[in-house]
Amino acid sequence: MSATTHTVNEPRALPRYLSALWAVIWKDLAAEWRSREMLSAMLVFALLVILIFNFALELDALARQTVTSGVLWVTFAFAGTLGLNRSMAVEKDRGCLDGLLLAPVDRSVIYFGKALSNLVFMLAVAAIVLPVYSILYNTNLFRPGLLLVVLLGSVGYVAVGTLLASMAIQARTRDILLPILLFPVVIPLLVAAVKASTGFLQALPIEDIRPWLNLLVVYDVIFIAAAFMVFDFVVEE
Amino acid sequence: MEGPANTLAYMIAGYAIIFTVLAVYLVSLVVRWRNLRQDEETLREIEKKR
Amino acid sequence: MDAKPRWLSVLDVVTALMLTAATIMVFFYAPMEAVMGPVQKVFYYHVAHAWVGMLSFIVAGIAGIAYLRTKNIKWDIVGLATVELGMVFMLVGIVTGSIWARPIWNTWWTWDPRLTTTTIMELIYAAYLMLRQGIEDPERRARFGAVYAILGVVSVPLTFFSIRIFRTIHPVVIGGGDPGADGSFDMTPKMLQTFLFSLLAFTVLYADLMWHRIRLGRLAERVEQLKLRLSQ
Repeated sequence: MSATTHTVNEPRALPRYLSALWAVIWKDLAAEWRSREMLSAMLVFALLVILIFNFALELDALARQTVTSGVLWVTFAFAGTLGLNRSMAVEKDRGCLDGLLLAPVDRSVIYFGKALSNLVFMLAVAAIVLPVYSILYNTNLFRPGLLLVVLLGSVGYVAVGTLLASMAIQARTRDILLPILLFPVVIPLLVAAVKASTGFLQALPIEDIRPWLNLLVVYDVIFIAAAFMVFDFVVEE
Repeated sequence: MEGPANTLAYMIAGYAIIFTVLAVYLVSLVVRWRNLRQDEETLREIEKKR
Repeated sequence: MDAKPRWLSVLDVVTALMLTAATIMVFFYAPMEAVMGPVQKVFYYHVAHAWVGMLSFIVAGIAGIAYLRTKNIKWDIVGLATVELGMVFMLVGIVTGSIWARPIWNTWWTWDPRLTTTTIMELIYAAYLMLRQGIEDPERRARFGAVYAILGVVSVPLTFFSIRIFRTIHPVVIGGGDPGADGSFDMTPKMLQTFLFSLLAFTVLYADLMWHRIRLGRLAERVEQLKLRLSQ
């Protein structure tokens, strides 16, 4: 399938793959830590979205029960788009991608590296949004079930989003294109994430929540696999 | 028994849309074909002159 | 390369005849439905259009995979043709579905799984076209189109499934209609024949239009190649 699969069969290929992977991730994390532009933009944006929702929807105590998950996931989805766009645009603008492509390692390392660093950023945003929301609305969002859903949802979102963002930034209409490509495809994930989140927040029995968790896992697996198979075709020059 | 509902207007609207869209699409195919043929002729002329 | 193939002309005639026959069957052969009245007749072409919309979607996915494997531009032409056609047919399917729903359920729209999923498919079609529009290099355009078509096709069953679960757990009635009912009615044999023949006629129409659209696509590709050559 991939012309570079021979590298995976060599005895020391795995450690080399992993160190290349770590290099990609570390580059992104270190660069972002130094400037903190993207993270702060995502954060401010997320908080603004919550603020807007506060006025757009009458979030009284009762309505909040049903609407919290939706507000959270819309926030994550939009802030996530910002992060994805920025993360891939930086590669293209600084020509980093070309450098990565020359490395003697399986191409998929670029995909997994970018996806993982995008995941870190998304979880970082969640780590701030959740406590802020909890404080603003006096609800405890730190239930383990909910955190699991945030993780699973973010993984799927980032799996598809990284791939689509790689394509979108190469188009003329780059910024607006990513949400247009991403949102229709990510709907099953959002539906499952919102329903599962609500389930955990309302402490529903686990059997009720299970179908949604299953759907999340299935989505993640299918799209990670699909993205892995198809990424080669997106970065080839 | 009162007989079937009088939904004739809706049926007409439905079929009007169906046939109109089909007609418009066919016209668009023809128009685009003609434009492209013209483009092709023009471009081949230019190429010959080089 | 340009002369219209004879078989295409034959197909044109066959298509026209079948469509005419189907229309006659709808209006004069199939009986009037006892409760819904004339609007029920929209159903035959509504389903036919939605069916073609779905068929196009699958063809788009197949063309995407084929392009990535063979890198032969003809698959990209097929992909674009089927997405364009699919978008048009699906749109008519959605609109006629809405027109049918209005007098029956007293609502223009319901968020039931099928309708919601077809709308999302329509948006994926549109996104595909917008992706292509933003890329100038033909090879990259074809590659990215293929990738997105594949991802889109993979996502749709999951979407349908997720909304299905959503609706069975929450049979919320939004818009007044019972989302469980699909406006079902018993089909007499004549209705069934009309229905099946409509599906067949529209499948033939799809094939005919695809052939024409692919020819158009090949011409467009030639013109684009000419432009690229001359601009060097």
